[in-house]
Amino acid sequence: MFRVIPPLLATLILVYLLNNSWVIGNNRIPPLGKFLDPVSGFWKNAEPDGYRGPENITLTNLEGEVHVTYDSLLIPHIFAATEADLYLVQGYVTATHRLWQMEFQIHASSGRLSSILGVGQDSAILKYDRKQRRLGIPVAAERALNEMMKDNRTALAVERCTQGVNQYIQSLTYANLPLEYKLMDYQPEPWTTLKCAYLLKSMCQTLNMGDKDIQMTNALALYGPEMVELLYPDNEPGVDPVVDNPGGWDFEPVTLDGVPPALPEELIRIAGLTSPNPNVGSNNWVVSGAKTASGAPILCNDPHLNTTLPSVWYAAQLNAPGVNVMGVGFPGAPGIIIGFNDSIAWGVTNAQRDLIDWYKITYEDASRSKYQLNGEWKPTEKRIEEIKIRGHESFYDTVVYTQWGPVVYDRNFGGKREPHDYAFRWISHDPSNELLTFYGLNRAKKYEDFMNALDHFKAPGQNFVFASVSGDIAVRIQGKYPVRRPLEGKFALDGSKSSNGWQAFIPDRQNVTMKNPERGFVSSANQYPADSTYPYYVTASDFEAYRNRRINNTLRSSASIKVEDMMLLQNDNYSIKAEESLPSMLTALDSLPLSPAEQEIVQQLKAWNYNNDKDAVEATYYDAWWNNIMRLTWDEVIKADVALQMPTSFNTIRLMKEQPDLKFFDVMETEARENARDVIRLAFRKTINDLEEWKRRRGNSIRWADYKDTYIQHLARLEPLGRHVQHGGNDECVNASARTYGPSWRMIVSLDKSGIKARATYPGGQSGNPGSKHYDDLLPAWSTGTYHELHFMKTTNDSATLYYSTIFTPDKP
Amino acid sequence: MRFIIQTLVIALVAYVLERFVGWWGIAVAAALGGYFLRTRMNFLAGFVGVGLLWLLLALYTDAASANGLANRVADIFTIPKTLLVLVTVLVGGVVGGFAALTGARLHPKKRNSVYH
Repeated sequence: MFRVIPPLLATLILVYLLNNSWVIGNNRIPPLGKFLDPVSGFWKNAEPDGYRGPENITLTNLEGEVHVTYDSLLIPHIFAATEADLYLVQGYVTATHRLWQMEFQIHASSGRLSSILGVGQDSAILKYDRKQRRLGIPVAAERALNEMMKDNRTALAVERCTQGVNQYIQSLTYANLPLEYKLMDYQPEPWTTLKCAYLLKSMCQTLNMGDKDIQMTNALALYGPEMVELLYPDNEPGVDPVVDNPGGWDFEPVTLDGVPPALPEELIRIAGLTSPNPNVGSNNWVVSGAKTASGAPILCNDPHLNTTLPSVWYAAQLNAPGVNVMGVGFPGAPGIIIGFNDSIAWGVTNAQRDLIDWYKITYEDASRSKYQLNGEWKPTEKRIEEIKIRGHESFYDTVVYTQWGPVVYDRNFGGKREPHDYAFRWISHDPSNELLTFYGLNRAKKYEDFMNALDHFKAPGQNFVFASVSGDIAVRIQGKYPVRRPLEGKFALDGSKSSNGWQAFIPDRQNVTMKNPERGFVSSANQYPADSTYPYYVTASDFEAYRNRRINNTLRSSASIKVEDMMLLQNDNYSIKAEESLPSMLTALDSLPLSPAEQEIVQQLKAWNYNNDKDAVEATYYDAWWNNIMRLTWDEVIKADVALQMPTSFNTIRLMKEQPDLKFFDVMETEARENARDVIRLAFRKTINDLEEWKRRRGNSIRWADYKDTYIQHLARLEPLGRHVQHGGNDECVNASARTYGPSWRMIVSLDKSGIKARATYPGGQSGNPGSKHYDDLLPAWSTGTYHELHFMKTTNDSATLYYSTIFTPDKP
Repeated sequence: MRFIIQTLVIALVAYVLERFVGWWGIAVAAALGGYFLRTRMNFLAGFVGVGLLWLLLALYTDAASANGLANRVADIFTIPKTLLVLVTVLVGGVVGGFAALTGARLHPKKRNSVYH
């Protein structure tokens, strides 16, 4: 009998070991027994071709039946009899395909990744979480939720959406958990209405946390105000603003009393925020019927974001009494964010504007319990953030809040030993209910509806474009913008005076707007918003200078525009930046002794047509050369021990041509004193060497597509689950595809009176399951610049669209 | 022959039980197979029974899959896919083997008892 003990022990120990995950080094090995089991492990996530979901699903809290028709792209067309049912099923269906992504993004946004991933290498994950807490993202989300719940319509939408997501979660067993849960060995937690708020704030963080106030303050201290104006002009000459309407701003602007805040004088030794990737931006434009072949307006939008898998956007059609809308939304939030309905279409690009200010805080003492405000000591609020760490005790971080906002960097996080802390004032901390805007846009029928819907929109500021079947086109830059006088908000401020705060906001209807302009089109591409007669001061971390001009030049000179022309424009790889800089760069090489190989390269560059096409080796040389010029020129910025910002490429090119002897062209490392021409030559030599090295290490091809290596990365950075793509373009081209950022959605809507037609594409697929063919089946079209037709179903019986359908029925009590 | 029956029964019962209780159902199935159908090679029966079951299921799933998931998962672990399949078979097989042996040794009557 005792002979049973060894195998029994072996079995029990093996089952125990294989049923749990183990951390080895920095990696977590999943529970191998569960994970490798073909019946319920990862093998189960491999979908066969032609996989279809269930035909019938019973849900609680449904008021009636809901029909969901999936088309061959796995876009759900949801037909419900009530709004409550519509959002419930939207939640359920979205969770079916994207649950892991939704959850992971929320954990990232709310600073809770450590609870899944542990502290990470060099505590990188913990630092990330602490930063999210200290930026006040949780506070912003709580305030947003409060506002959402005050309005019946948005309250219903988020509550029902949440219920739908939760019913999906409750239906899960280990076998049908998404792959990443099995890999990382954790379970989904219940969804909450707060998480819908986090989704919106996460977008705010991506889009309107651009800021350079600290960098500007340091530049001011180091170089003086004239140099700051030279290096960082707010409105760069020669660009095409979103709305050019000199003298046309027909309203009484809000003016501020009192003296503008003093310019600061000190250096600030905190890091400044990581700049959002400058490639985050977008294009949109609308062409009126006067310029199109069909006579109907055409609206185009391609938002540029970090291209990830699962994809940023989830496409759907929502149909219920009073609403029939299609487009893309954020997985986990109700409604459609970019799209069209039976009467109108809309799109968004990021409106660059500085919506952050840093306020210098003076504490009474080291306890940081009181800070100076208007001659008194006001109490601070200390918020203790608990950061749970997987497998360890929680980490507690105390964040000091002032009336301005949280103190992000202090003696415990990111700050060197400084006498002052700076509080972070961010527009997205203010309560607002953006969901109401999208609710309104989803149901809008005409221009007035569009304008009313936008009045609820506070952050992140966006350039909204609009078109209606009845023929109107418009653009409106909408957000909650502080009224500023020249230079206000560009630098850090003294937090001991409340008069330094945002005294007033631009009235919504005084935001830059244009309806039915004479030129027959509107457009925006993250450029400066208005002409110089617009009565409000605008500054931002940076503005775009190239895409907008290419778009406007093309639209200005075109007539009888067709949808195909718009497809070409969205995929246009032409670089105005190269056109405006390369000739000067090549001239600088005159009389420089070059080897035959180098001469060959120079000839190729001279002959180049400035298109960043897939095969263009010239694009690689130019891009590498320009980046080297930037790095050599602004080495003072890179090497500085305080936060500084590089001027824009546009401004650098201007300085290169107009002020070649500017002291910044001197390369610090060398004894000699360089000017622009020297820097261009040095950069050329360095580029040749760099690319030779690159070829040695990475394979012989420096075709642009191979060098750029467009990479759609997995959300958790699991390399095998990402996709490398051959694609042209660059961030200054209309086709703003950089390495990991690019057009996350390309949409072209033709507002024909006979029925709206839309075409679209995005770099990924509707399913978040890496084992499904729908994980990346939309990627080929995106990478070749082709589009899918979006089936805008009129009724649920439209069988032309059908791939399969699921009928949701109410649970009988 | 009895060995083959033992192996097949273990495989079948494992397949059924797994769906109800999860992966460790293979251990229960193998233990039952070891207890009721004892042979001279119980460990091997459990090993082959579960190992073969998992091998066939994994290969079938992989062949039918639309997007090469097994290749991707193998890449995540930086191993070739064949190794991933091999580890799958080993994990199932080893657990099945020890469980079958446990079941066999639990049985009070020895297989070839000296006393009749």
